[in-house]
Amino acid sequence: MRPQQLIPSIGRRCRPRLPIVLSPQRRNNSYTVSVDEPSDARPADPPAPRARSAPTPVPDEPTVEEPSLGKSDILLGTEEQALATPGLTFADGHGLRGPTGKGRQTRRMNLYQAIRDALGTALATNPKAIVYGEDVAFGGVFRCTMGLTEEFEQGIAGFGIGYASVGGCAIAEIQFGDYLVNEAAKLHYGSGGAYPLNGGSLTVRAPIMSVGHGGLYHSQSPEGFFLGAAGLKVVIPRSPIQAKGMILAAIRDPNPVIVFEPKILSRPDAVRAIQLLSNPPPSLAALLPAKLRPPNPAPSIQLIDLRTINPLPAAAVSEAVKKTGRVVIVHEAGKQGGVGNDLAGEIGRRAFEYLEAPIGLHAGAFDF
Amino acid sequence: MATSRAFLTATRPRRTATLPARITARSLITGPPPSVPPIHGTHETPTSTPLPSPNPLPAFHIPSAPVPHARQEDGKPLYVSGSQAERQARAGRMSSPLRRGTHESWWTPEMGFFNAVAKTIPTFRVLDEEGHLVRGAHIPEISKEEAIRMYHIMTLVPIVDNVLYQSQRQGRISFYMQCAGEEAATVGSAAAMLPNDEMYGQYREQAALLYRGFPLKDMMAQCFGNVEDEGTKGRMMPVHYNAPDLGFHQITSPLATQMPQAAGAAYAIKLDENRQGDCVICYFGDGAASEGDFHAALGMNSVLGGPCIWFCRNNGFAISTPIIDQYAGDGIASRGPGYGLDTIRVDGNDALGVLSAVREARRRAVEGKKGVLVEAMTYRVGHHSTSDDSSKYRPMEEVQEWTVVDNPLYRFRAFLVARGWWSEAEEAALLKKNKSEVLKTFSRAEKLPKPKLGEMFNDVWAVQKGEEMPSVISEQRAELGRLLKKYGDVWAPWRKERKRFVEEGEDVMDCDGRGA
Ligand SMILES: Cc1ncc(C[n+]2csc(CCOP(=O)(O)OP(=O)(O)O)c2C)c(N)n1
Ligand SMILES: [Mg+2]
Repeated sequence: MRPQQLIPSIGRRCRPRLPIVLSPQRRNNSYTVSVDEPSDARPADPPAPRARSAPTPVPDEPTVEEPSLGKSDILLGTEEQALATPGLTFADGHGLRGPTGKGRQTRRMNLYQAIRDALGTALATNPKAIVYGEDVAFGGVFRCTMGLTEEFEQGIAGFGIGYASVGGCAIAEIQFGDYLVNEAAKLHYGSGGAYPLNGGSLTVRAPIMSVGHGGLYHSQSPEGFFLGAAGLKVVIPRSPIQAKGMILAAIRDPNPVIVFEPKILSRPDAVRAIQLLSNPPPSLAALLPAKLRPPNPAPSIQLIDLRTINPLPAAAVSEAVKKTGRVVIVHEAGKQGGVGNDLAGEIGRRAFEYLEAPIGLHAGAFDF
Repeated sequence: MATSRAFLTATRPRRTATLPARITARSLITGPPPSVPPIHGTHETPTSTPLPSPNPLPAFHIPSAPVPHARQEDGKPLYVSGSQAERQARAGRMSSPLRRGTHESWWTPEMGFFNAVAKTIPTFRVLDEEGHLVRGAHIPEISKEEAIRMYHIMTLVPIVDNVLYQSQRQGRISFYMQCAGEEAATVGSAAAMLPNDEMYGQYREQAALLYRGFPLKDMMAQCFGNVEDEGTKGRMMPVHYNAPDLGFHQITSPLATQMPQAAGAAYAIKLDENRQGDCVICYFGDGAASEGDFHAALGMNSVLGGPCIWFCRNNGFAISTPIIDQYAGDGIASRGPGYGLDTIRVDGNDALGVLSAVREARRRAVEGKKGVLVEAMTYRVGHHSTSDDSSKYRPMEEVQEWTVVDNPLYRFRAFLVARGWWSEAEEAALLKKNKSEVLKTFSRAEKLPKPKLGEMFNDVWAVQKGEEMPSVISEQRAELGRLLKKYGDVWAPWRKERKRFVEEGEDVMDCDGRGA
C-alpha cells in the first residue's frame, strides 16, 4: 500500500494517490512531476561528478602581512598622531597618503559604522558572502542579509561552519557559542587541512565588554575563554578604523576568526576621549591634579596595542619587554583566567632576567 | 485587590519617575542599534516610530441583536474541515493567517487539545520481513547493477565492522563503532543520492561512505591513523572519516553538530546558481534528535530553505537510553510537521523502501529547495561502540530476535533472488572475495608507519602564503625537537615510540634545539 499523505497542521489525510510508473522512454522525455506527486523514479541522468572546490573569487591577497601588534609612544603631540593606527596597511599597497600622495578620502565613523562599511565591502566583492545572525537586518541594501530570531542562537555557528565548508564566506553575529571551540576551531586540523573548501571562511562578530549601562549580562569580557581554542583566531580592535581593517582581514582569512567588538567604541566620542586622556593639552594639564599630571620630563612609555589574542603573540611582546624591563598589562576583563595572566606568565618565562619590577596587571580597567 | 492597586499607584510613581525613559528603549541583547547610540545620559536613543500606547480601545458599542449562533443547535461544529464554511473562513473572514502565526487554521468553538498531528504516523515499506512485496507497494526503479552494488556494500560492511571491532578488542586500534542492523537504512539512503550531493554523517554511516566509493584502504588508514590517512593525518579517533571529493563531511564527536552545518551547506547550495539540483543529506540518531542543535537546524532550514534531507536513523537506543526514555511523542517524524517540513517514516530495514522514500524526499528537497525529514525505523544490533557493553541494559535475546526475524540483509537478498539476480554460488563468491579483501587491506594498513611526527603541528591554524606558523605552535615544535635530540635515543620508551613514525621524528629535529 502506498503511504497516505499527511497534511501536517490539520491532521487530515488526503486520498491515497496512485503510484506513477515511469517507463524509461518517458523518463527521457522532459517529464516533470509536481511536488505533490510522489515518485520513486531515479532522477534522470545523474550529472557527472564534479571537482569539489568552490570556484569562489578569493579577494586580493593582502600585499603586506596583516599586523597583529602596533607600537606607539603613549604621549602624542597631535590629534592626527593619536588617531593614526600604527601597522595599518591598505590593500592597494599605498600608505596613509594614498596612491595620489595627497592623502586618502576619509570619513569619521564610530565602530558600528566602520563595521558596516567593512561588511559592505565584503558583500560587494564576494558573491558568496552572507551576513547573518540574531536580529541582523540591514534593510534591502545588501542582497544577502537575513534576519534570524533569537531562537536560533545555538545553530548560528554551526550553520556558518556548514556554509563555509562548501566554499562560502559566512559572517555571523552572535552572542556566544561553544561550537567555535569544538567544531570550527578543529575542522581544518581534523580534516587534514581539507576543510573548509577553497574560499570558505567563517567570521564571527560578537560585542563584548561594558558600556556603562549593561548590568551583569551585557558587560562581560569573555575573551579569555577562547584563549585555549587552538585553531581559532581571536582579535579585538581598539578603534573603528582597526575594526574595519580587522573585519576585512578576518573575512579573508581561511581560519575561523572571532572579532570581539568593545561596545564602548560605539560611542561617537570614544576615540577622542582616549586621546584626551593620553594627551592632555597644556591648558588642561594645568587643571589636572598634580598626581595625574605627566611628570617632567615624561618617562618613555611604549604602548603595545595587542590586537590578536589568539594566537597570542607572546614572543613579540616579550622581546619588547626585554627592552624596557617593566611592563603593566591593562585590560577590562577580570584578573583570573584572562589574557593578562596568560601574557604575564609568558613574559615571566621568557624575559625573567630582564625584568626590573614585578609584572603589573591592571584588570577590570574601565574608565567611562 | 482594590487596595493593593491603590497602594501601588500611591507609592510606585516616585521610584519610576526617577527612572530615565531610555530604560524602555532598545536593549543591548539584540546587538548594535541601527544608528549611532548616544553618549550615556545626554539624549534619547533613536528607535523606530513609537507605538501607540496604550493600545486604543474601540468605541464602546452594544450589539443591537444577539450574535447568531451558527448552526449551534444542530450540535455540529462551526466549520467542518474541507467544507464551504471552512474555505470561506480561510479565504477571508478570518484574520490574516500569517498574523496568527500559522498558515492554515480555522476558528472553532470546540476546545480540543491534541498531542499528535495524526493518530499514529504510518511506516512506509516496500518489502516485508520475508522479503515479499507488500500488497499495493511499488518497486522503485532499480537496475540489476544498482541492486547488486547495494547488496555488495550491505554485505561488505559487516565484514569490515567485524574485523575492526575484533582488532579493537585485541588492542590493535583504539576505538570502533559498528553499523550492524542499519545496513539497509544507510545503504538505501546513500543509493538515492547523487554524486555531487553533500553528506553529513553522525559516526555510524560508514556504509554510506563505502557506497559512495570510499576505498577500504582509506578507511583502514583512518582507523589506524597511518601514513596513508590522507583525510585526518592520524589526528582523529577511528571512525572520524571525511572525504571532500565524495562530498562526505568530517565526522566529529559532539552529537548533532552536523545538523546546523548541514543547514548551512544546504543554504549555500540554494544560493549558488552552479549547484542547483544538488542536495544535502544529514544523518542523525534518535538520541541526537534530543539535542538543541536538532531544533536549531530544522528551524533554520525550514525558514531559510536549502535542499536537505534530514535522515534519522531511529535505532532504538542512544548508548543505553532506549527510545522510550528518549521521547514521549510519536517518534522523530512527528516533529517534522512542527517545522513545516515534508516528513515520512520508513521501515529502515527495508533497503528498497528506504531507497524509494529518500529518492522522493530528494526530489521534493531539490524542487522545493527545502528540507525533508525521513525517519528510518531500525535497530542497533551491535554495541554502541567498543566502549559499551549492551548486555548490561538489554536482553541479548532481543538482539538475537532482531537479527533473525527482521534482518535487512536477508530481506534485500530475498528480493534479489526473487528477481533472479542472485544465487547461492554468487553469494558465496562475494563473501569470500569481500573477506579476503578486507583482511588484506587490514593487515597492510596495520603494518604501515604513522605519518611524520611533525604532522601533529600542521594545520592547527591554516597558514596562508607568506605567513609563518604562529609562534605558539612553532615553539612547541622546536621544544619537542630539542627534547627528542636530548632523549630520543637514550630514553627507552621514546626510542621505541619514534620508530613508529615516518622519519622517526627527525623532521621536527631541524630546529636549533633551544625552544621556549
Ligand atoms: C554533545 C554530546 N553529548 C553526548 C555525547 C555522548 N554520546 C555519544 S554517542 C551518544 C548516543 C547517541 O545516540 P543516537 O543519536 O541515537 O545515535 P546512535 O548511537 O544510536 O547511532 C551519546 C550520548 C556526545 N558525543 N556529544
Ligand atoms: Mg540511536
